[in-house]
Amino acid sequence: MKNRLFFSVLAAIVIFGACKKDKTVVAPPADPYAFNVTVSGNLVTVKNLPADTIVGLVNGQPVGIGKYAFFNLRTNSWVPNSDSASTNWDVAFSGTTIRINGGTSGTGSGGAFVWVGSYNNLTTVPADSTFRIDNYPSYAITKGSGKGWYSYDGATNLLTPIPGRVLVIRTANGKYAKIEILNYYRGGVTPSASATDEIKTSEQRYYTFRFTYQSNGTTTF
Amino acid sequence: MHMKKTNILFLLLIISSSLFAQDDTSFNANKTLNEIVVTATRTERKLGNVAVPVRIINQKTIQQAGSLRLKDILQEQAGLFITNGFGAGVQMQGLNPDYTLLLLDGEPLVGRTAGVLDLNRLSVGNIKKIEIVKGPSSSLYGSEAMAGVINIITDNTFKKQLNTGLRYGFGDPNEGWAFPGGKKTFNNIDLNLQAGTTINKLGIQFFSDANYLDGISFRPFSIERIAQPIWRMTNQLQFNYPFSQKTKVTLSIRHAYDHIKQEFAVSNNGAVTNSYGRESNKDLNISSAIIHRFNDNIKTALRLYATEYNGSQKLYFREIPDSSYNDEFKQHFYRVENQSDFSWKKSTITAGAGVAFDQANSTRYDNISSRKQNTILYGFIQDEWRPSEKITVIAGVRYDDNKLFAAAASPKLAVRYAVSKKLSIKGSVGRGFKAPDFRQLYLNFTNNAAGGYSVFGSIDAVKIIDQLNQSGLIAEIKEDYAKLKQLKPEFSTGYNIGGTYSANDKLIINFNIFRNDIENLIDAREVAIRKNGTQIFSYINVKNAYTQGAETEVKYNIFKNIEINAGYQLLITADKADLQKIKSESVFTRDVNGYSKVMSRSDYIGLPNRSRNMANFKITYDNQQCFATARIIYRSKWAVADKDGNGVYNTNDEFAKGFVQLNLSAGRQFTKGIRLQAGMDNVFNYQDTNNLPNLQGRMIYITAQFKLIQ
Repeated sequence: MKNRLFFSVLAAIVIFGACKKDKTVVAPPADPYAFNVTVSGNLVTVKNLPADTIVGLVNGQPVGIGKYAFFNLRTNSWVPNSDSASTNWDVAFSGTTIRINGGTSGTGSGGAFVWVGSYNNLTTVPADSTFRIDNYPSYAITKGSGKGWYSYDGATNLLTPIPGRVLVIRTANGKYAKIEILNYYRGGVTPSASATDEIKTSEQRYYTFRFTYQSNGTTTF
Repeated sequence: MHMKKTNILFLLLIISSSLFAQDDTSFNANKTLNEIVVTATRTERKLGNVAVPVRIINQKTIQQAGSLRLKDILQEQAGLFITNGFGAGVQMQGLNPDYTLLLLDGEPLVGRTAGVLDLNRLSVGNIKKIEIVKGPSSSLYGSEAMAGVINIITDNTFKKQLNTGLRYGFGDPNEGWAFPGGKKTFNNIDLNLQAGTTINKLGIQFFSDANYLDGISFRPFSIERIAQPIWRMTNQLQFNYPFSQKTKVTLSIRHAYDHIKQEFAVSNNGAVTNSYGRESNKDLNISSAIIHRFNDNIKTALRLYATEYNGSQKLYFREIPDSSYNDEFKQHFYRVENQSDFSWKKSTITAGAGVAFDQANSTRYDNISSRKQNTILYGFIQDEWRPSEKITVIAGVRYDDNKLFAAAASPKLAVRYAVSKKLSIKGSVGRGFKAPDFRQLYLNFTNNAAGGYSVFGSIDAVKIIDQLNQSGLIAEIKEDYAKLKQLKPEFSTGYNIGGTYSANDKLIINFNIFRNDIENLIDAREVAIRKNGTQIFSYINVKNAYTQGAETEVKYNIFKNIEINAGYQLLITADKADLQKIKSESVFTRDVNGYSKVMSRSDYIGLPNRSRNMANFKITYDNQQCFATARIIYRSKWAVADKDGNGVYNTNDEFAKGFVQLNLSAGRQFTKGIRLQAGMDNVFNYQDTNNLPNLQGRMIYITAQFKLIQ
């Protein structure tokens, strides 16, 4: 009896407490592996965005189907691939490659660079910053272990976003956003170093990240 | 369940039969401190008089622990951590296995894979004692003696004897308990023979050991737990001929052979490959010495040594016809050395010089038929000065000139002061070094399966990159490329301060505080990028690190015939570049939400694969006729993977769990030279397949030894 009361009160606190702060939040998803976007003030968290997940092996190497997951930072939405030739997206993910809507990757005025520091400390984009532009085969957000946003451990076959790396993005419409990649695996949890290769392969290429978009065109977050 | 009871009953029977016997012959502090050590100064010295930290493991300890291979006995020593990967290696004072020199009767063992000399390659059946010298000892031994030296000294009494021993061990890593000969039983059989005699002054001694071990797979991702068996064989023949009281000649020939049959399935990215084949390791060591004593004060020894290691692995893949994997590594090492000892007034001067040729051929280099060779010319001198009974001062230096890379000078100074009859303190400071190995100079590896990056040894890297550059195939040469041409040995400066306290005949306490400052650690770095985007890595001097800590060992004869032996080591390590980065707040980790935050100094845990706390506890009952021991090994958790990807090991990373291992044994000496022993290793059946692949599950064994002629 006591317990039931306790849980009712707890549930009420959770539900009403959450609703008070931000109306867009629906009840937490039952499936921790589902694609999901939550908004809390100007902070948006995206979970389980599948970025060309592994479908099979070619010459012993795991491969996806070679498609990107396009994302619009202005509307917080996953954009269909049919819209790839538009300015309806700002960042696109496929495996470890992240493209911006500009240069060789898109028709927008996108650009980006990787800033070292903690997310909350990036309140204003430094005035002397240089935004890089995708120039295939090189990208504004550098690929390679330890070079851009991730590190890859050849001994454990695990990929980890380097903590303290913020992707500063110029969106397709020339405004600014900052992104922190939180995890590269399904459910936002990196498998254990001793997990099997099957798990490490099937769980990878699911992005969990948080971002803040500044709609007024300034570089202040 | 039934089995379990029988096993325990059997052990209890032996233990209780031991307890009823009489006779007090326990350890004696004075006797222990008078044991002779040769490794610390390269001259015979009493353990109690040595100015550097030394531990002796004697034959009785090895026998009572039921050890078969060198790994078995070293893992029971406080402060020694057995590493996994490329066999079992030994980590001393927090330094990797690469930095401990392993000697067999004073001559170096060769054949390391990735810096590790597999301790399973050495049988301990004919070992008289093992001497462990901690702290840099390059002033006497040259390369590799950075953390210390482990000298395995074989029994060379040349007395008339014929002994044989048979041991049968069994276990079941999955069920925990097993029947001897059962279907799932994991068997271990060891047979050894020792014979010796002296005919007309010529001493002859022979030792042979054969070991069969049902294999447990060392590969964490293999599908079957049980792999194919391992055969190990060791033969050693020794001769001793004294021409006169003053001159003698010795010769020793040792041949050891491991044969590991392999049949396993490995799953890689979901694709299963069934592989079969074999792995073998062969060691041949031939050493000879002429020792002449001119008089009581002058002695000289000319030592000749040749050794060969041949390691190979050949695998076939069932799913892919006509395919095979072949790995071969052969090393030859030849050495001529003279050492002379002069006693003059209160000094003993030890001086020596030698030349060594180190050669290797491997499929891991550009071409198996291309022989890589280094020539080392060296000289050393040491003065041990005893101005009074209470003070010993040792000063020494060694110079190693290498054909392939920079020379190394290694000085050392050690002082021992006997404060009182009960307490002596000692302090030493020395330089140690490790020369770059052939892998770091000549490796030639291109990973076509993973994008085509290459790792070249520093000498080859310069050659290859210059060639590619001339052909216009290099896109970018990195700054680190310039460092390839000036590869230096890895250096360390070690400080040890400690002492020995012996309150009475029943108690000895050894304590030591150590610090090793390591410079120029060699690591692989990106040195160039090809036009096609693939990276080229090579070895350069990059890192500075330190290890420091405290260790203590207590031996206490608590009751009649009962001895307690306890050891503990605290270890703190750091990569100095990591500390700089942490200080400048440029290292981040993640909080509970997965958000980045600046990593604090208190989250830093230092170098991976190291236990901060290590302890060993042993209780022995021994009355000469019967004995029983219980040995506990404790290792605290150690970091295994950089889980948060920040390149720095911290509390957020992945750790292997700390563990406790209990080993029991008991034995009885019967008349007419029959000795029986039984034991149970890993009583708690602690297993960690991923992090401790070398740790077998619970094993029960029975040993019978017969002295046929004595």
